[in-house]
Amino acid sequence: MKRHLPLAHPATALVMATCAWLVLVPLLGVPPRYLPSLGRVVADAISVWPELLNSFLRTLSEAVLGFLAGAALGIAFGVAFARSRVLERSVLPLFIALQSVPVIAFGAVVVIWFGNSLLSKVMIALYLSFFPVAVSTLRGLQAIDEKRVALFLSFGANRMQVFWRLALPTALPSIFTGLKLAVSLSLIGAIVGEWFGDTVGLGVMLLQALYFEQVERIWVLIVVCGLLGTLLYGLLAFIERKYVWWRPA
Amino acid sequence: MNLPLKCSIAAIAFAAALVGGSLPAKAAEAVSVRLKWVAQAQFAGVYVAKAKGFYEEAGLDATINPGGPNINVETLVASGADTFGIASGTEGVLYAREKGLPLTCIGMSQQMTPFAYVAYDDSGINSVKDFKGKTVATWMTGPQFTLYSVLAHEGLAQSDANIVSQPFSMQPFIDKQYDVATVTLYNELNTLKEQGINNIKIFLPDDSGVTTQQDSIVTSEKMIAEKPEVVQAFLNATLKGWKYAFENKSEAVDIVMAAGSGLERKHQELMLEEIEKLMRAKLGGSEGLGAIDMASIKAVHDSLIEYKALNTEIDLESAFDQSFWAKVPADAKSM
Amino acid sequence: MVASRLNALLNACLPVVFAIFVMGFVWEVAVAFGEVPQYVLPSPSGIIAAAVQRFPQIADGLWITTFEALAGFAVGSVIGLALACLFLLVPPTRALLLPLVVALNNVPSIAFVPLALLWFGMGPASKIAIAALAVSFAVLLAALEGFSRTEDGQVNLLRSFGANRLAILWRLRLPAAMPSIITGLRIGLARSTIAVIVAEMLGAYKGIGQIVYRATAEMDSLTVWSAILVSSATSLALYGLLVLIDRRLVWWQ
Repeated sequence: MKRHLPLAHPATALVMATCAWLVLVPLLGVPPRYLPSLGRVVADAISVWPELLNSFLRTLSEAVLGFLAGAALGIAFGVAFARSRVLERSVLPLFIALQSVPVIAFGAVVVIWFGNSLLSKVMIALYLSFFPVAVSTLRGLQAIDEKRVALFLSFGANRMQVFWRLALPTALPSIFTGLKLAVSLSLIGAIVGEWFGDTVGLGVMLLQALYFEQVERIWVLIVVCGLLGTLLYGLLAFIERKYVWWRPA
Repeated sequence: MNLPLKCSIAAIAFAAALVGGSLPAKAAEAVSVRLKWVAQAQFAGVYVAKAKGFYEEAGLDATINPGGPNINVETLVASGADTFGIASGTEGVLYAREKGLPLTCIGMSQQMTPFAYVAYDDSGINSVKDFKGKTVATWMTGPQFTLYSVLAHEGLAQSDANIVSQPFSMQPFIDKQYDVATVTLYNELNTLKEQGINNIKIFLPDDSGVTTQQDSIVTSEKMIAEKPEVVQAFLNATLKGWKYAFENKSEAVDIVMAAGSGLERKHQELMLEEIEKLMRAKLGGSEGLGAIDMASIKAVHDSLIEYKALNTEIDLESAFDQSFWAKVPADAKSM
Repeated sequence: MVASRLNALLNACLPVVFAIFVMGFVWEVAVAFGEVPQYVLPSPSGIIAAAVQRFPQIADGLWITTFEALAGFAVGSVIGLALACLFLLVPPTRALLLPLVVALNNVPSIAFVPLALLWFGMGPASKIAIAALAVSFAVLLAALEGFSRTEDGQVNLLRSFGANRLAILWRLRLPAAMPSIITGLRIGLARSTIAVIVAEMLGAYKGIGQIVYRATAEMDSLTVWSAILVSSATSLALYGLLVLIDRRLVWWQ
């Protein structure tokens, strides 16, 4: 029987981090240019909470949509690669190359093609997130024991049944590893996309805080982005615990 | 298998609602204005024109798109992704035309060079000629051309100074990581003053004989050819917005503060005052806001050609179209 | 022997080369037929020509960026692996720190760029720091997942031979986790390159990010795309290197 990856309660982390911030910053005399006191950061957050909330929701939707699209595409490609060696050999390296092309570098092209809309952020989030899912899907499917497949087939199962009842379940833990990475990448994609001249979003607020060198605001956004990231990650981890509790034995 | 399916359907519905909810009403002409930077008082005229309904009155449904660290206004406007733009400046338009971008300038916001170079009093730099052998930082998004012109005018080659890319922050200069930094009179100089840094020398490009108009109002050749009335309407409304902004500064700053994020009121007020000086200087005062100073442009063009920064002669009359500005009613541009 | 190796190499390369050619061809045709202006999207032929012509300037930036990415990658991998081992050997640390690490690393690494620039300046140090941050999580997660793959039965067997936690980690879990760790490394490499380039765009003296940033502002699309091309080719080469190491070191699966 395998142990799976238990995540300690997120509440513990929150309490710990808050205590550390509250106590250590004044204690160690950390200059506010690096890490302002918790009180000031909270005050700053409260002063802009409507804008913060709007931005949070906007970035959340961009990241989620991009992630869902990227995950679907990634799994589809992963399965395709597992089926066809030719496809794997020719297209997978292309994807690897594409993955290393910094999407931020051709921002103008993205804006020209997809406008300043939600779509351009979703496309960037998709672009960044589909690759880890594809790779982990492929790996997961490749790790299947051939003897098991043979066993299934010997009992009269057809290819489809082998896929749904053996291959996919066996690969799911691996796929979820990829999904967890993809969700954080899609958040990065959403934020970077907002840097192409958008008006609402955590990325927009971050850029403006950066340019006006408002350290408190930067920390507010770091915390909020962290909350958003933890929310998404936690959701995935929850789904994983509920549906993917077994490990390949 | 139900959960993923439900999630997918919900996601698609969610996406559809978002897209549907953001489609504009089909009444006025939908246009977009791309700014060269993030929202701040530097673009007060545009924000005021939108907030006070000047664009709407002119039959335009204008969307204001701020700039970003990796997009270029000239490229976006020339390609049609944005209808209008507040782009870098004289040099930017010239370089765009040299590269074949179908971009035309229809107005110039700032009539005087808004840049200056600063060095600490104790750095031993007393004139631009002393830049030789020193580390000079400048932004590479347009202002670098002004620096090249200034160096050339002072008899220095670009390679005589160690020119580095200046980031958005003045912190490296404050930390003395380079000898000379570029500032704008309306932004970074104020930032330095706010931080109590007054032991600096300021070198104005105008003193070296370089006067270059900045913050050009641009549009594509296509727009001018196909919808000149929209171009005219836009220019009228924008200049009207600027005039209103200068006559109602407090309200203008309110509007800008609401549009941007992370702005400090005092800093924006100072910025607006400085911008007013820049926009009302020279032709801005004598002829009206947004005037195109062909003499100054020709001087910049010739100097860039002479120092081989520009390699093709540019047809200035077609790059800088004064006809629209000429038709802007006096009550919109004269103060 | 040599012939069969050569054959294998060709078999591996041919599909990729073919795919690249097809993609390039489609791009070239699309740009020509769609009359896409060069300042929006240049043709592949134009980009390759420009890349060759401007290579000296681009190489200068490439060297810095690659160094920053690799250094960050190395540091991040070590940190990720070390943390995973710590969590395994001292379980209380896992319960205490893992949620914190998860929360910290769920902040998109680019949100830390302003801080990194402030703390470490505009030089390579800030880029290495950001890259390390981006990579460490990928490696940590992968290592933890890999460690958990070990069968309890095998662990108990080693225990019965008197092996302590450290020995079990070294001899059993680590080798078993290698495939997973390598996957983490692969993904980490891609993330670190992106993080470095983003950081370079916001504040740096040199590097691919700076080259792209300046060229964008100067409307020099050929330079932008050649820099992207060269940078991607290098990333690909590094990735290929990683795959090679994967095959050599982790030959058991």
